[in-house]
Amino acid sequence: MTGLAVDDAAWASAWRHRSPGDKLLLCVGLVVCALVLPAWPGSVLVGAVAVVLALGPARVPAATFGRAVRWPLTFVAVSALTTVVTVDGGLGWAPDAAARAGSLVGHALAGSAAVLLLATTTPMADLLPALRRLRVPAAVVEVASVTYRLLFVLLQSLNTIREAQTARMGYSSVRRSYRSSGVLAAAVLTRSWDRARRMQEGLAGRGLETGLRVLPEVLPSSRLFLACSVLALAGIVSASLAVA
Amino acid sequence: MHIAEGFLPPLHAVGWTVAAAPFVVHGARAVVKEVREHPENTLLLGAAGAFTFVLSAIKLPSVTGSSSHPTGTGAGAVLFRPPVMALLGTVVLLFQALLLAHGGLTTLGANAFSMAIVGPWAGYGAYRLTRSLGGGLLPGVFVAMLVADLATYVTTALQLALAFPDADSGFAGAAVKFLGVFAVTQIPLAVGEGLLGVLLFRVLTTNARPELERLGLLPPAPAQEEVR
Repeated sequence: MTGLAVDDAAWASAWRHRSPGDKLLLCVGLVVCALVLPAWPGSVLVGAVAVVLALGPARVPAATFGRAVRWPLTFVAVSALTTVVTVDGGLGWAPDAAARAGSLVGHALAGSAAVLLLATTTPMADLLPALRRLRVPAAVVEVASVTYRLLFVLLQSLNTIREAQTARMGYSSVRRSYRSSGVLAAAVLTRSWDRARRMQEGLAGRGLETGLRVLPEVLPSSRLFLACSVLALAGIVSASLAVA
Repeated sequence: MHIAEGFLPPLHAVGWTVAAAPFVVHGARAVVKEVREHPENTLLLGAAGAFTFVLSAIKLPSVTGSSSHPTGTGAGAVLFRPPVMALLGTVVLLFQALLLAHGGLTTLGANAFSMAIVGPWAGYGAYRLTRSLGGGLLPGVFVAMLVADLATYVTTALQLALAFPDADSGFAGAAVKFLGVFAVTQIPLAVGEGLLGVLLFRVLTTNARPELERLGLLPPAPAQEEVR
């Protein structure tokens, strides 16, 4: 358990050992389809494919997937509703409000499901080397890798300190909650500096000069997976164009 | 307030990505230069990114009942300067999209523009202005956090209004609608985050004074005379 359900799902997923490049092609393809194709039937197809693949072959727990979709859902619902309400001379519905709201919600949910399919099957540790292949500077990828690795340490510190504060009535009133939150943020920040300094000293002792080199895990690409992905994407595009 | 994946029309998603790119590239150059000159700072920069991510896991009690999460970009801009925050903020937004399903990949450009660029620059500007007018570190931090949050919220509302103008009143009407709807959560959050910033820096000035002096936020303390 690392504290981030999506990350846990990614490490435990049945697709964990598939090539990140293969999964990127499928998921980015789905994201683009969700964005560009008309909501009916494009978004519905993308959403269905993403959910079926995640819960089926990738064996992502349905509860994790459902809980993760809940976050964007609030924003999408509030914003879609705001978009179709008119305020000109009193509150009212915009013309074709239901269709517009439906299309917005469809695009957003399908896109979110496609991103989640990538997120719940591919740990960040596999995706970051892929950024290097997209010609992102090595220094930037390195900083991002350190960020990813320190995240869990800091989240654990945060939870432990918060538990201790709660046990000492640190969150019993609004005033105390603010005080505790301020102290909590300061403690986590100073700990992050301390950890970075100690890690740096340890690495300097081992001759850190030109960056943190780690042995990348080689995950072979599957032709069958690629062929199925391209077929599925082509199917979604042609079905959407045929209906439209 | 992150714009969800797929919510912006394709043209807007591409447009905001193009608008954010120069700032993020500028930030990346600053980071590459820093890492080349001081390889040991790679870990400090990574720690700064991790802290920005973790800060959004702190729940602030909100006046409107629901608890909200701070964005931390104002504090980041004061501590690490806006160009570095443009890059770290974008990395954090990418992590939030892939680890928490907050935001998205096609909306990364739009979210980076509001949260990693406009927010930190506005907050840092407000901080410098407060300090140059004679304000101390704590008032400066309060204003920086407040302004960074407000600027982010206003930018996001305007981005949404530009993408979805009102059927009758166009862009202006839509802007009023989005600013109004999100004001309920975002304005109390901005004030709350300003207060959190003050509490955070008050602890830091006593517990981590050398670090703040090294970052140039506090003047070096006068050396204590040796007692003979």
